[in-house]
Amino acid sequence: MPVTSMPVTSPPVQTGTDTAAAVTDALLWVDGVTKRFGSLVANHRVSFHVHAGEVHALLGENGAGKSTLVKVLYGVHRADEGRVVLDGVAAHVSSPARARDLGLGMVFQDLRLVPALTVWENIALHAGRAGRLLRPRRIQAEIAEVADRWGLAVDPAARVADLSIGERQRVELLKVLMSGARVLILDEPTSVLTPAEVDALFDVVGRLRADGVGIVIITHKMREVRTIADRVTVLRGGQVVVADRLAADISDEDLVTAMVGTTVEAIGNTHAGGGAGRPLLQVRGLHVRGAGEGSGLRGIDLGVGAGEIVGVAGVAGNGQRELADVAVGAARPDAGAVLVDGETMPANDPAAFRRAGVCSVLADPLREFVVPGLTVAEHAALWSSAGTGRIHFDVAAAAGRVADAAAWAGLSIAAPDRRLDQLSGGNIQRVLLTLALGERSPVLVVSYPTRGLDVLTAETTRRLLLDARGRGQAVLLVSEDLDELLAVSDRIAVLAHGRVAGIVDAAGADRRQLGRLMTGAPADGAPGDGAPDDGGVTGRRMTGRRVTGE
Amino acid sequence: MPARLRRFDGWRRLCAALLVYLGALALFSVVVALKGGNPFSVWSTMVRSTVLAGPTLQETLLRAVPIALAALAVAVPARAGLVNVGGEGQLIVGAVAATGAGVAIGASVPGPVSWLVMAVAGAGAGAAWAGLAGLLRTALGANEAVTTLLLNFVANDIMLYLIYQLWKDPKGSGQPESRPLVHAAQLPRLWGSQLNIAVLVTVAVAAAMWWLLRHTGWGFALRVVGGNPEAARRSGLPVRRLLLSSMLVGGALAGLGGMLNFAGLELRLRPDITLSFGYIAFLASWLGRHQPVKVVGAALLFSAIALSGNGLQLTDGLDGSIVDVLLALIVAAPLVLTKRRRGAFL
Repeated sequence: MPVTSMPVTSPPVQTGTDTAAAVTDALLWVDGVTKRFGSLVANHRVSFHVHAGEVHALLGENGAGKSTLVKVLYGVHRADEGRVVLDGVAAHVSSPARARDLGLGMVFQDLRLVPALTVWENIALHAGRAGRLLRPRRIQAEIAEVADRWGLAVDPAARVADLSIGERQRVELLKVLMSGARVLILDEPTSVLTPAEVDALFDVVGRLRADGVGIVIITHKMREVRTIADRVTVLRGGQVVVADRLAADISDEDLVTAMVGTTVEAIGNTHAGGGAGRPLLQVRGLHVRGAGEGSGLRGIDLGVGAGEIVGVAGVAGNGQRELADVAVGAARPDAGAVLVDGETMPANDPAAFRRAGVCSVLADPLREFVVPGLTVAEHAALWSSAGTGRIHFDVAAAAGRVADAAAWAGLSIAAPDRRLDQLSGGNIQRVLLTLALGERSPVLVVSYPTRGLDVLTAETTRRLLLDARGRGQAVLLVSEDLDELLAVSDRIAVLAHGRVAGIVDAAGADRRQLGRLMTGAPADGAPGDGAPDDGGVTGRRMTGRRVTGE
Repeated sequence: MPARLRRFDGWRRLCAALLVYLGALALFSVVVALKGGNPFSVWSTMVRSTVLAGPTLQETLLRAVPIALAALAVAVPARAGLVNVGGEGQLIVGAVAATGAGVAIGASVPGPVSWLVMAVAGAGAGAAWAGLAGLLRTALGANEAVTTLLLNFVANDIMLYLIYQLWKDPKGSGQPESRPLVHAAQLPRLWGSQLNIAVLVTVAVAAAMWWLLRHTGWGFALRVVGGNPEAARRSGLPVRRLLLSSMLVGGALAGLGGMLNFAGLELRLRPDITLSFGYIAFLASWLGRHQPVKVVGAALLFSAIALSGNGLQLTDGLDGSIVDVLLALIVAAPLVLTKRRRGAFL
């Protein structure tokens, strides 16, 4: 829940010069919405306008109040103050169903489809057409027609569980469009798409815009603002800091500064070159059967040398998870081995890996790290005990150590006596980073390190990774954020369908090349060069978030 | 949240808890009235027949011994996330092993030696019985709630076989009973009262468990395993060994409870020697949120309620089993509270 306490002083609002004219003919006018949760103010007098045939980007960091705002718009939350005006008429949005009736459509970040049902069944369910009599043929024909009109190719008879994330999002869009939305709200729609899928999505958004639909796109990626947005509103700390500005009128630097509140200096990758030292972490011929929706690993060979950062890119669910698990001894491969500093490691023995000097920033802290009821200090004690082979925990000493490590790393973490499970995702991540990076172990396996972090901490984290490389640590960095991978990696291995589709030198790499590899196409393959369809790219959803302020 | 608010929250919670328990008592009064009893007289009987008079208070304490120890047998594995429904069976095998040892030794050794031998036998048998379920869980992944529950019936059948056949008292009245424990092997009374040393042992054991769970690495590791087994595994903790050890310790406690109940109070192995206290103990542990001190408190309360049935039958002409209604209401009451508070059960 992105709830932010209210700042003492209001930041100055920068308003577009054309605001006065905009008010009269706005399709959607959010007028002074305030939403409080107890003593916390999530939205404070938020106002913005969306016009027909316009894409309006809503920018802000995690916790800036974007999600709360759209939930107010969509009738999930009730606003404490302010109103929502649709077509010049104050609308009483009391529930999502009412919002749909009013022509407000919402595509949530976590797509809300029933996996066991087919595409048309899902759409019928949503559009309220699952009345007494189901008329499958008619609904399917309708779907085909709408899909054709907007270029949303999808098979109405397919089961949602068998679709890729990109396809599921198309179904979600169809669902919303078929219920007659005039205002479309997209909540971070691109976070799990391949670059090609993002292009396809923006193509659809462009058509909708041309047809007079008003579109609100929530994002924190500057690139998307530049590609698709006509107008921008920036939220910080629950308040509007940039209102209704034309996207062309504001620079990237100004947008990032508005979001963060201070200027952020993006780190530049030094790409030391000079070749890596001796291989500290190697995986050889790794095969792992995929669990759940993951594709597993089908023969992976990869090495990370001392003083090297090897990035692992790929669409979620293409084997990253399995690779990271095996590399820290948390899973048993079906074939192949992991070598640390030349020694073959016993499989599925996390303690042995820790003794050998492998530390990990876990991919899913809530599932793999946080013990309900324990404090930060107790987690630190648990962390230090790993690999000692003894069941001994010195909580007091660990509290001191974790505080020292946080100070050394420049990360601010919660007090040692706070319960970890009561902290926000970003605060949990900072504790995890402090423990994993503070260890200064020879090998680091890092998964999605900047997820849930604010821009400044994310930059600090990347700097820490570069520092680790400078000290001669070997770093395996799994991330879904191509910009992050390009910023810190020496080499980037791209996983597709459980295989290494290619390893590229980060210094000379570009996004398009990586994107092609992510879909499983050969590195230098011409378009149509036997590229497999991406039907297998059904990923577990990741919510990698950060601001890319390049 | 500011400290002031949190304190306020605590007050509200306390008031809510009081209201809910008063509601449970009121509901019980309604049930009593429907059965033709006078609620006021019933309440006074219940209080008088359990805690007010010396002898009955002593019986409440003595009967609380097996309940408390079997409840701790639930609490320790629960710390590691295991559900031990086998307190009943572990009480029984503890009593059976103690009977075997105690009757065999007879008066051949001094009292303290036979107490010790019986205690070790009872605790060992209980540990083995729970350990069996623990092994099935760690080696085969069998659900321990099911296996411990089913092992209760096996334990009871073994006991029945012994007292109907092999161990049947030849000089008995034909009832299926074992021979009685000789006087020298019976647990010593305290200060000339009905109370025996079992009460002190129980207090000591509960204190020890409190310390073990709270102040040792083992207790901490159990909390980690119970809270998030995946995090425990990734931290290199020996998860299986910890799970098994919690079952062994739990079983030993219940086995000891069975032994103390036999050697201090029952003195003969007979059918229903446990009075189904193993199941009441399960509820006591949950009511006490698996925290040793609270668990022992809950055991005392349940012991008193269970015993008050006798008084009701004699004085108020009600069926003694009506107290089971009160027991159920007391256990169910906190569920109403937790609906709004996520995380803590009861």
